Amino acid sequence: MSNRKDTELEQEQAKSRRRIPDVAPLLGFLVLLTVFFTFTSPYFLDPDNFKNIFVALAVTGIICVPGTMLMIAGQVDLSVGSAAAVSGMILANVVNDYGITTGLLAVFAFGLVLGIVNGFFVTVVGVNSLITTLGTLATLYGIALLIGNGQTLMMKNFEWLGTAQPAGIPLPIFIFFFIAIIGIITLRRTRFGRSLYAIGSNPNAARVVGIRSNRILFASFILSGLSSALAGAILTSQLSAGDPNAARGLELEVITAIVLGGASLAGGRGTMWGTIIGLTTIGVLNNGLILLDVPTFWQRVAQGLMLILAVSFDATRERLASKRR
Amino acid sequence: MSNELVSLQGIHKSFSGVEVLHGVDLTLGAGEVLALLGENGAGKSTLVKILAGDIEPTSGSIEIKGTKLAKLDVYQARQLGIRMIFQELNDAPALTVAENIFLGQWPHSGPFVGWSEMAKKAQEVLDRLEVDIPVDAIAGQLRVGERQLLEIARALTQDTKVLVLDEPTAALSNVEVERLFSVMDQLRAEGVGMIYITHRLDEVARVADRVQVLRDGSSVLTVDAKKASREDLVSAMLGHASEKNVRPQLHDTSEPALKVSGLTSFAEFTNVNFTVNKGEVLALFGKIGSGTAEICESLFGLRPITGGNVEIFGKVYKAKSAADSADQAIGYLPADRQRLGSFPVRSVAENLAVRSWQKMGRFGFVNRLLEHQAFSRWADALRIVSRGSTQTISTLSGGNQQKVLLARWFEAQVKILLLVEPTRGVDVGARRDIYEIIREQAQSSGMAVLVATSDYEEVVLLADRALVLSRGEVVSELTGNSVEASKLIAASS
Repeated sequence: MSNRKDTELEQEQAKSRRRIPDVAPLLGFLVLLTVFFTFTSPYFLDPDNFKNIFVALAVTGIICVPGTMLMIAGQVDLSVGSAAAVSGMILANVVNDYGITTGLLAVFAFGLVLGIVNGFFVTVVGVNSLITTLGTLATLYGIALLIGNGQTLMMKNFEWLGTAQPAGIPLPIFIFFFIAIIGIITLRRTRFGRSLYAIGSNPNAARVVGIRSNRILFASFILSGLSSALAGAILTSQLSAGDPNAARGLELEVITAIVLGGASLAGGRGTMWGTIIGLTTIGVLNNGLILLDVPTFWQRVAQGLMLILAVSFDATRERLASKRR
Repeated sequence: MSNELVSLQGIHKSFSGVEVLHGVDLTLGAGEVLALLGENGAGKSTLVKILAGDIEPTSGSIEIKGTKLAKLDVYQARQLGIRMIFQELNDAPALTVAENIFLGQWPHSGPFVGWSEMAKKAQEVLDRLEVDIPVDAIAGQLRVGERQLLEIARALTQDTKVLVLDEPTAALSNVEVERLFSVMDQLRAEGVGMIYITHRLDEVARVADRVQVLRDGSSVLTVDAKKASREDLVSAMLGHASEKNVRPQLHDTSEPALKVSGLTSFAEFTNVNFTVNKGEVLALFGKIGSGTAEICESLFGLRPITGGNVEIFGKVYKAKSAADSADQAIGYLPADRQRLGSFPVRSVAENLAVRSWQKMGRFGFVNRLLEHQAFSRWADALRIVSRGSTQTISTLSGGNQQKVLLARWFEAQVKILLLVEPTRGVDVGARRDIYEIIREQAQSSGMAVLVATSDYEEVVLLADRALVLSRGEVVSELTGNSVEASKLIAASS
């Protein structure tokens, strides 16, 4: 039994750690951004503008849900952007010739296969997920270009998935919210979600305690593949065309949102809510820059800087935590 | 004393307003070994970190080789020849043995590392330690005990005046421990002063000249090591007269839970036979590497079984994976808590409930309230000191962490529990607590417990029966009151 002073010390340390919730600084930053854009642009607070912000986020957001799960388990899927591009090319091709249902089936079949491939290499072969998915990212980008011979493919009669507005709210937003809620519940309340935290926190202990880590990671990669496919389908429907370059750099946005939201790169920590706030921050920043007529190239610059900021924050927090321990 | 190397006087130290050292004095002469004893949290580590310049004392004076120092920082401490060897490894696992021995101080000419010179010097040091490790081996592929010796070798290559060893023997086999002690004898003859921190009282008389005991941040006893009796030391550490090593009440059951016959795994252990009955605690005693821990690993499915068979409640069971075994209501507590046991950044409640989520909700859901309640229940029953169910487990003391990990399997209602070195890194007071808890649980739930340990005191205090292993074979069985320290040691060596 530890003596009393030891315990007091521990409690003191624990208290100081508890004082700052992980997402508090980010939330503060988001509020600052909102205030800033409210004063600098008359259009910012317009409800239609908020609709724009979230439509722009929905595609990324859908991928962020399994992305957060993977990050919590200490894994990363970089292939999401290329996967969305390939999905779009498949969809445009198949819908034109065989109709919408077949098109969607083909897209989800592709997402499933991709998830199985990524999952196989990570869990069965044992390749680091960063490298595995970097490989699939490059391969799939090539495939996306091959399918359309480097060209954009027009798609007919399937705009509703990306542009319908039931009850005045765009369908992609509904889909994103629906998936995000499933994500929140899964992470907080299911065995699957809790196992992800355990695996990320200490993969060896997870194995020794009898968690079937490989199955869980495999399933997560499949979810990631399926969600990339869905995101690609929505994007293609919005554009009415399959564009091999439409989803370039999407993985960067996804990872930025997740890390901004407080998920630890080392695994074991993170929440769906955090990711949603991270995502919103990126959306507000992008939107505000457009409203202020900043050239779009600056969005890329801002996003890159945000990612560096987010990982620095993560690293600083880890270091502080280990110092206090 | 004219040859006094170190003199710390009236050292006080506070962390965030809490004083952890209340005016401690410590002296160390040249060629002297001072054993520093105390429970976890008594202030030993803080005290030696002050000596290493790692921590600045709140008040008190530091004198090294007769010179009073206003301030001591890490760099200065190194200049003065003060070296520390920690329990945890501080090496570069990807580099070679030679590189590790000269880590950061590689022999060089200009910008080029002198590889052949380094290999030669490294070999000299290893010969001096009588260690048979190739200098070009990769450190990460060595056993933990061997890597520990590399750290000692590193200290030897530098001009060391004062050597602090913080529980260096925890991961060493008996042979390696003896080798370390003979090196310490050598260093003593060369006039190096050593502070030796340990949990193992039997090492004190072997290695130390003087013993100092810390309790709650104060020095409570300083005596000649030859005159210190075991009882005196224990009572000084605990602050009250310790109970004698009394054998526990034996459990008399005859319903077999786990039956092992002819069990073999390559050369790790061969032809092992035993039965553990319901409610019984059977100890497998032997040095590290004798096969005790390996048997538990194989039974749980972490190591392949190459021969023999295992029966659980009369049915043949072949463990394929840890997950299979856990589903069969078998529990396993690994020796390496940090690496294999706990989920460091997660809460105590989660760490405890991880094996019980299935019964804490339906359709794959987990009810957090049940998780919280389970923790409160076990925290009361096992006297786990924590701030509450949401506290991160890594902020608990070692003994409390271990209780959480034990409760993990109790809550999961396992029928067979495999424990490997269940009190490693746990202080003396909490040890007895843990023995009592394990015995209570075994008796009340009829759980069969198998303990692999290299600590004979643990066997005496915990087990109903003991098998002694040596080089992977069972060499003797002790039952009832014949489970004695002297017999265990005699049988294992």
